[in-house]
Amino acid sequence: MTVDSSVPSPVETIPETPPQPVLPLQVHLKGEEGRLLLLLPPETPNLDGSPTSLTWPDLWLQLKQRLNAGERFWQTNIPVHLMAQDRLLDGRQLQEIADALSESQLKLERVYTSRRQTAVAAAAAGYSVDQLSAAIAFLNKPNSQTGQALAEPLYLQTTLRSGVEVRHPGTVVLLGDVNPGSSVVADGDIIIWGRLRGLVHAGAKGNAQCLIMALQMEPTQLRIADNVARAPEKPPAEFYPEVAYVTPQGIRIARATGFVRTRD
Amino acid sequence: MSRVIVITSGKGGVGKTTSTANIGMAIASRGHQVAVVDADFGLRNLDLLLGLENRIVYTAVDVLAGECTLEKALVKDKRQPKLVLLPAAQNRTKDAVTPDQMKRLVSELAKTYEYILIDSPAGIEMGFRNAIAGAQEAIIVTTPEIAAVRDADRVIGLLEAHSIKRIQLVVNRIRPAMVEANDMMSVQDVQEILAIPLIGAIPDDERVIVSTNRGEPLVLGENNSLAAVAYHNIARRLDGEKVEFLDLNAPPSGFFARIRRFFGSKPRS
Repeated sequence: MTVDSSVPSPVETIPETPPQPVLPLQVHLKGEEGRLLLLLPPETPNLDGSPTSLTWPDLWLQLKQRLNAGERFWQTNIPVHLMAQDRLLDGRQLQEIADALSESQLKLERVYTSRRQTAVAAAAAGYSVDQLSAAIAFLNKPNSQTGQALAEPLYLQTTLRSGVEVRHPGTVVLLGDVNPGSSVVADGDIIIWGRLRGLVHAGAKGNAQCLIMALQMEPTQLRIADNVARAPEKPPAEFYPEVAYVTPQGIRIARATGFVRTRD
Repeated sequence: MSRVIVITSGKGGVGKTTSTANIGMAIASRGHQVAVVDADFGLRNLDLLLGLENRIVYTAVDVLAGECTLEKALVKDKRQPKLVLLPAAQNRTKDAVTPDQMKRLVSELAKTYEYILIDSPAGIEMGFRNAIAGAQEAIIVTTPEIAAVRDADRVIGLLEAHSIKRIQLVVNRIRPAMVEANDMMSVQDVQEILAIPLIGAIPDDERVIVSTNRGEPLVLGENNSLAAVAYHNIARRLDGEKVEFLDLNAPPSGFFARIRRFFGSKPRS
């Protein structure tokens, strides 16, 4: 896959179109004016009303993974506002969220929800509660509109291990390895500062301009928009930082050095 | 302060139980009080490997049901008085116990024993969640095969999510000749993917099978095979000692050369 010059090397392209993925929002942490927003995926993320498959244990796991991957990026003891949206949370689950946050030296302070039961449980546990439908409308907006700008880049520092999937409606920057069996699906670019051995899909909403960059490109499969490619059978003897991009002939890979310059 | 260590792998058949039995015995032989806990409810094996099957009267489920004290359920080992086994129930399934109950058992054991080794079942379902519930650290056992390494990787991710941060790696069943011929992943290859500290590399050894079938952990034996030495070294490293890793491509006088000769492969220079 690696080439000696900056001449792009062809990568075997699988012709058929991959299924268009729907992007349910994952657990997301977002800094905002002296507070950290913890956004949970809504119970019904899709416009067709099909319920999300994310169960409580999966949600908890995702929260822990995101907290572990972002530890460096926020100050300790910053107040956390939980955007529970329309998700039902009982007292025990709220406690588990608070426990997970406090392990990362974060403090749950306020809960926004559109569900009465969640509001009651949160109030009983002693958090400030906002039962706002306006907040929900605001949060659902990026999901339901077409042609909007991408979300802010997601910046993670972690090793993505087998079984972990990161989905983000924007660009994903990952410091660490993407191990085989894990995947990254992003609506924007994917930048892996490490070894890329899993499956990555850039421009998942159909943007073929998107790029995949990695320090060491040994993917199980690369996808950009509707294009699919897999790595050559024989891994190269030496690795360079590389960029994968779409050409009319399918996905190509080039040396990262000077890529932006030579492309225009 | 006692240490609670879960021994797990994801994939079955890579040597979790064998490792638990041998590491447990090796730590006990260093003078520590050790409890080994079989968390594989319904498919218990640890008692067989330790040769204690016929001495089990009560199991962990009986303790949880209040039918006997924890003390009574513990099976002492005649050969190594510092080691006890808390057996799992064979007539139940993994759902017979909850993570909270496991935590209670383990913290009860922690009052008396310095090391508590929990033998986890394969998989990542209820049995796994029970096994890791009370643990503060973990030992991941894998063999140099992609399936085992893939599953180990997944399990490490789950352990990290469950806030078990101290995770160490045992690579089991290495065949140096095959590694050299590039037919098997090396320890370094495994480590490169899993990216956790190595605590032991154990060569493939027929005597492990023999000792398993006899119910006598290898480390108890007089004949110090490389595998037994490797298990002893893991115990020493757990204890905080710095021990050089074995050179598995040992000199021709080592048993490996004998094995190789036995299989008719060429001795290396």
